[in-house]
Amino acid sequence: MPSKTPGQAPGKAIIAIVIAVLVLLALLVPPLGGDYYVHLLALVFTNVILAASLRPSLTCGQLNIGHSGFMSIGAYTSALLAKHFGLPFELSLLSGAIVAALVGVVIGYPALRLRGVYFAMVTVAFVEVIRLIAQIWVPLTRGMSGLSGVPKPNLLGITLTTKASQYYLALGLMLLILAILYKLERSRLGLIWRSIGMADPLAQSLGVNIAAHKLLAFMIGCFFAGVAGAFYAHFIRFLFPPEFGFLMATNILVYNYVGGRGHFVGAIVGAMFLSLLSEPFRGSAYETIFFSIAMLLTILFLPGGLITLPGKLAGLRSWRAASAPSPSPAG
Amino acid sequence: MPLLATRQLTKRFGGLAAVNQVDLTVEPGAIVGLIGPNGAGKTTCFNLLSGFLRPTTGSITFDGEDITGWRPHRITARGLVRTFQHTTLFHDMTALENVLLGLHLSSRLGIGTVLLSRRVYPPDEVARAREVLELTGLGAHADQPARSLPHGHQRVLGIAMALAARPRLLLLDEPVTGMNLDESGRVMSLVKEIRDRGTTILLVEHNMKAVMGTCEHIVVLNFGQKLAEGTPAEVSTSRDVIQAYLGAGIAHA
Repeated sequence: MPSKTPGQAPGKAIIAIVIAVLVLLALLVPPLGGDYYVHLLALVFTNVILAASLRPSLTCGQLNIGHSGFMSIGAYTSALLAKHFGLPFELSLLSGAIVAALVGVVIGYPALRLRGVYFAMVTVAFVEVIRLIAQIWVPLTRGMSGLSGVPKPNLLGITLTTKASQYYLALGLMLLILAILYKLERSRLGLIWRSIGMADPLAQSLGVNIAAHKLLAFMIGCFFAGVAGAFYAHFIRFLFPPEFGFLMATNILVYNYVGGRGHFVGAIVGAMFLSLLSEPFRGSAYETIFFSIAMLLTILFLPGGLITLPGKLAGLRSWRAASAPSPSPAG
Repeated sequence: MPLLATRQLTKRFGGLAAVNQVDLTVEPGAIVGLIGPNGAGKTTCFNLLSGFLRPTTGSITFDGEDITGWRPHRITARGLVRTFQHTTLFHDMTALENVLLGLHLSSRLGIGTVLLSRRVYPPDEVARAREVLELTGLGAHADQPARSLPHGHQRVLGIAMALAARPRLLLLDEPVTGMNLDESGRVMSLVKEIRDRGTTILLVEHNMKAVMGTCEHIVVLNFGQKLAEGTPAEVSTSRDVIQAYLGAGIAHA
């Protein structure tokens, strides 16, 4: 749980300064860092979008272990529309997001009536079905040969040819989406999501149509997962079905748990921390081991996630300070 | 016309009839008490009225409209609002946020509105939530997390949330359970004040002093069936009721 008592919360000015410094640092990466970092961070930004877009559903108490399925739908939709019909990136990205959101409604409408682990099982099945469709529907997706030749992203007719410009696109998308999701979470709507997650009979008794609100939260998450997928498609320019499988879906969930679910920042911290730290193992079997260990350590030692670490350390320090003078009672 | 009327209301769990052919009427402006020994079916009855359970047979009419089998949020939207037996609150939210959720039905929601507004919550709703907190005597605790409130205040907060939903009929499930004499007295006078402001009340309560002192009409349930009803004086001298509460031996003695 986050420590949200007014006395402990850092001032708004400090938060604004921290955000400004972080954004400034992010802006300086392309001129100062190499292509490797530009590429890596652009992918980290998509992971941040994915992690944050899982929050609306998580806040409603719905365990979605199939989020990468919606990313996959966004990626393939956008890639195919751009490749075969020459749709500009803005439109193909939007189409990918909308299709992902619509599939979210179709899956969510029946599935969200299920509780807890049953809903989670449906989402696991979903992500595998999407992966299998992408593998088997060869005429459309090229199956396991992978879909190559996805056009580079363009904005207002100008193709973003350099990695740096694509990096800025990713940064912009991430900041915009984070702002929207944060605003939603800190609103009347977010309050309703929290109420459903905490005690849904009580929310119902106050007139909340919990089925409709769970569906709306789920749909919003699917939409932004679709955006992340569409960007990914035009950035990597090659789509391979297993990339969006169960493993990726669990990673998105693990970002949230390791970062901490008690506050919006948790998803961002978790996605950044884990995707940067797991980079050396990317694609190898060690990646799974790394994520499993991170999850285990979190559950055992930091159930509230990394965002509770500063509070715990401060608590430890004050405990030490309090217990330090005690060994001299004789005086 | 009664505000609430059930006809032959029945709920079976397997072979057990938890509520069995109960006819219950609540007149507008009344404070009605629903009492009975443990397991008499009082809470099941509440769950049926508020839509959390579907009746096996029988019907529920609220303000002339058949609401049998409706989902809970629709029933609340019609003006029949309940509270819960155990302290059910959104513990991690402040008292104010809890009441804001009670205002859900009258709130203008929409992703567009939410994204464009500069405030976290609409100021007029915050003002109304504060009014409800003042009315229930929780004004000073608005920004405290619900979990940090003392038990008595938590129970009152539950009532405040239901009140914010603007009920015409308020179902209170054991509003003064676990309270001391002083606290329960204050809650019962709050209940009267709520009624005087135009909300009809149906309450379940084990505290007989509170029930007899507040309710004008009492319905007694036993083994899921209506055993007796009438004024507090009639009910408390009824042979059947004494028998149900104290056992057959004493009544015959």
